[in-house]
Amino acid sequence: MTANLADPAVTPEELRRPDDDTPEPRAARWRWPLTPKMFIVAGVAAAIGYLALVPLGYLIWGTFFDAQGLDLGSFQRAYGDGRMGELWGNSLAFAGGAALLSITVGTTLAYLNVRTAVPFKALFFAASIVPLIVPGILYTVSWIFLASPQIGLLNAFLEPIFGAAPFNIFTIWGMIWVEGLHSSPIVFLLMVAAFRSMDPSLEESALMSGASRMQTLRKVTLPLVRPALLSSILVILITSLESFEVPALLGLQNGIYVFTSRIYFVLRSYPQDLGAAGALAVSLLAVAVIGVAVTRLLAGKGSKTYQTVTGKGFRPRPLDLGKWKPVVGVGILFYFFVTVVGPLLVLLYAALLPFYQAPSWEAFASFTFDNFAQVFEMNSAARALKNSLILGLSSAAIVMSLMAVAAWISVRSTIPGRGIVEQLSFVPLVIPGIVLGLSISFVYLRFPLPIYGTILILLIAYCTKYMPYGMRYASTSMTQISAELEESAMVSGASWWTTFRRVLLPLLSPGITAGFIYILVVSFRELSSSILLYSPGNEVLSILIWEQFENGSFNVLAAIGVLMVLALMFMVTVAYKLGAKVGLRED
Amino acid sequence: MSFRLRPPLAALTAVGLLTACGGSPTSTGGSGGGEGREDSDAAAAAAEVYDTFNGMSGQERTDELVACAEEEGELNVYTSNSDMDALVEGFTDLYDIDVSVYRASGETVLQRLLQEDGAGYYGADVFEVDSIELDAAEQEGLLYPYESELRDSVREEGKPSENWTGTRFNAFVVGWNTDNVKPGEEPTTLEELAEPEWKGRVSMELGDVDWFTAMHDYYVEEQGMSEEEYTDLMTRLASNSQVVKGHTVQGELLAAGQFDVGVSMYSHTVDKAAADGAPVAWQPADGSPVEPIILRPNGIGLLKTATNPCAATLFVDYELSEGQDLVREANRISSIAGAEDPLEGFEVYPVPLDKLLEEPASWDKAYEDVVANGQAIE
Repeated sequence: MTANLADPAVTPEELRRPDDDTPEPRAARWRWPLTPKMFIVAGVAAAIGYLALVPLGYLIWGTFFDAQGLDLGSFQRAYGDGRMGELWGNSLAFAGGAALLSITVGTTLAYLNVRTAVPFKALFFAASIVPLIVPGILYTVSWIFLASPQIGLLNAFLEPIFGAAPFNIFTIWGMIWVEGLHSSPIVFLLMVAAFRSMDPSLEESALMSGASRMQTLRKVTLPLVRPALLSSILVILITSLESFEVPALLGLQNGIYVFTSRIYFVLRSYPQDLGAAGALAVSLLAVAVIGVAVTRLLAGKGSKTYQTVTGKGFRPRPLDLGKWKPVVGVGILFYFFVTVVGPLLVLLYAALLPFYQAPSWEAFASFTFDNFAQVFEMNSAARALKNSLILGLSSAAIVMSLMAVAAWISVRSTIPGRGIVEQLSFVPLVIPGIVLGLSISFVYLRFPLPIYGTILILLIAYCTKYMPYGMRYASTSMTQISAELEESAMVSGASWWTTFRRVLLPLLSPGITAGFIYILVVSFRELSSSILLYSPGNEVLSILIWEQFENGSFNVLAAIGVLMVLALMFMVTVAYKLGAKVGLRED
Repeated sequence: MSFRLRPPLAALTAVGLLTACGGSPTSTGGSGGGEGREDSDAAAAAAEVYDTFNGMSGQERTDELVACAEEEGELNVYTSNSDMDALVEGFTDLYDIDVSVYRASGETVLQRLLQEDGAGYYGADVFEVDSIELDAAEQEGLLYPYESELRDSVREEGKPSENWTGTRFNAFVVGWNTDNVKPGEEPTTLEELAEPEWKGRVSMELGDVDWFTAMHDYYVEEQGMSEEEYTDLMTRLASNSQVVKGHTVQGELLAAGQFDVGVSMYSHTVDKAAADGAPVAWQPADGSPVEPIILRPNGIGLLKTATNPCAATLFVDYELSEGQDLVREANRISSIAGAEDPLEGFEVYPVPLDKLLEEPASWDKAYEDVVANGQAIE
């Protein structure tokens, strides 16, 4: 208490003008007293800086220098390919298309889920996350089984109506379709959080004043969630630019090469040309830095505009769809049959077969549980599952706690250099997984504490890798919370830390929960750095999946995919139930 | 060209700890690292053990080796071998030794080995991977020769170097889907598959540079084809092809009928799928397969810095004796001469390892270009 009385944070002038758009004279706050606040803020900033600078330093060093000094040969090797223009063109078309599709799908689903009285809500929420759980390689191959001109099941079903092979998955459109759907849960989770924290009275006022539903959506709803939209666009653009699974399996077939295929080629043989890979990553880094700066600028302009969680209470009341309800219901069912049930059924079907074949009585007769039995017989399966769970839960918890504070620093504080914290937290997104692994093993092989060879090194890698996502989720939610709530708490005598814990954290919970779920789910698939850093006894599930893949047991892999969907669905449901308890009341 | 950090950054990131390692960066053309390896206590002790057993033979060697290995009681295997579980099970059934296995793709295992070596952390006792990575490790000076009567029985293709010993072979074959390629229609040569009637029915794999380089040597050096003719052949082949990444996906898609022929399939992938009932084959019912079949050895090497050198030597013994049954069970090709040879009577050709190690980038580039140019042809 005494600390608060000593804290000259809030002046009466500020209290009287909570809605004023002029910047508040808060600079006076920063006198760096030795308070818990200072320790926490400095600690979090240092942790982010450390996690980001280890791989970044390694990457830059290896890219620009060799034993003799500055060396730019790696750029020549990386970009000295006549087809670079074509590769970038393909990459941008692919990433742009995927971003557009996943933003449209993810935002629509989130809106319907949170803001309307849509039918099949529970099913719908669970199913929206399924594409995130299925490993990319399985999701992509199941789409080959569905929509390849040669063997696609959908093509076979629809042939009588539309003629031969209406779908061809081996095109840029097919690539966009698969990547866009596979990334749509990232957007869905971000937008669910944003819509949950939005005061519906603003939309209601618009409707009352005579705006049509479309106008309200365009002029009120979407502008209010602009920070979340910008974050989604940024993350999806960069992850799609980096993605190689979908382009490799679908694009190469017809000679559609993308920018990341260069990274694949330079890393393929011994000695791996990590310098060239780094040089390629540098251009992604540039895209990311500019992207974050633009997002900050756009979201920061009159940041009060987005603060929908204010001192005024609100209850997100679901919008009645009226006569549109059946239409939307059918639309949703159709969507799920096509994008979720379809691939999952194909996966289940493959998991029950000794080898893939087109459905026939003969195929059904050869159904067997052998593949599932093989999964349960694997020596290390139980241990790997346990390790993956420990790592997933702890990295999600650590990242989201760090990022909750980091989001406050970046969005709310006036600390000089706060933008750098956000930039740094985004850096790991552009570092190729193998480079991340190498940098971490390089440091911890020389570290005095025995971290190398333990599960801790994997935890460090996961925290680094998922920091960017955590930051997007946390800071997006933070922009929606009005500063007045924090200020009232402080005025009432709460310390910064109490305010943070008792006021901000509960209000942030939609974003924190969404980020937690995202990290938990995708951490189960992390392979590129895990495979270099794990050691016997610390295997994780993705290593097991990789081993099955190397063994050529595609159908066992499908069985693992099915089991992962079941297990993670269960955990996601639990996480959301818990998240809902701490946060804003739903419905 | 290799990516190895030197002290300046190390000092920055690891708070000067590296300086304790002393020594300036050596200038051994990009190999670098591991300066302390040769003088380390581990290396001296291991060399003594290796020399002792390399000089012995018969029952005496076996008895002493088993006693010493069981006293060590542990073994650390770094490998890319996907059948390692069965081998370890067989080994631990025979001997009272705890085995830990680190498994990853060949390039990753090699990276890890090099990184650990650079930091003076010696985690591995034996290293079992493809010949390319073994040769790289040999070049870096990580391996110690292994000698025994068992090694003497290994086929010549399996021991191009004294520093590692072949345990099995991967064979690149032309495989096809028997539903879509009817008996009598099977391809007999690669040239045939480059003809227009196979348009869209063939599949190539994105990373099979070793296959491409071996074929290059076969056609250009053995068959007298000119460079242009070979490039033209491969380009036309690529223009007929759907390009796939990864042999597992390639095998699954071949069985499913996505394409009819794969030109660089692993024989064991095809054999395994066929054993499960999939409609795939690489040999016609009567007649011979497409030749040449490209052979690439997998092998095992002893680490100079092994902390369990006896167990390491015993494990190599095991792989070359009882372990070979498991190799055959997994549809692989044994490296022991005189053993039942599934390739008996067929023309085989080895992957030219030295070429691939000398200028990996130019072969990578050549294959990448051929595939891309071929695909660009409508």
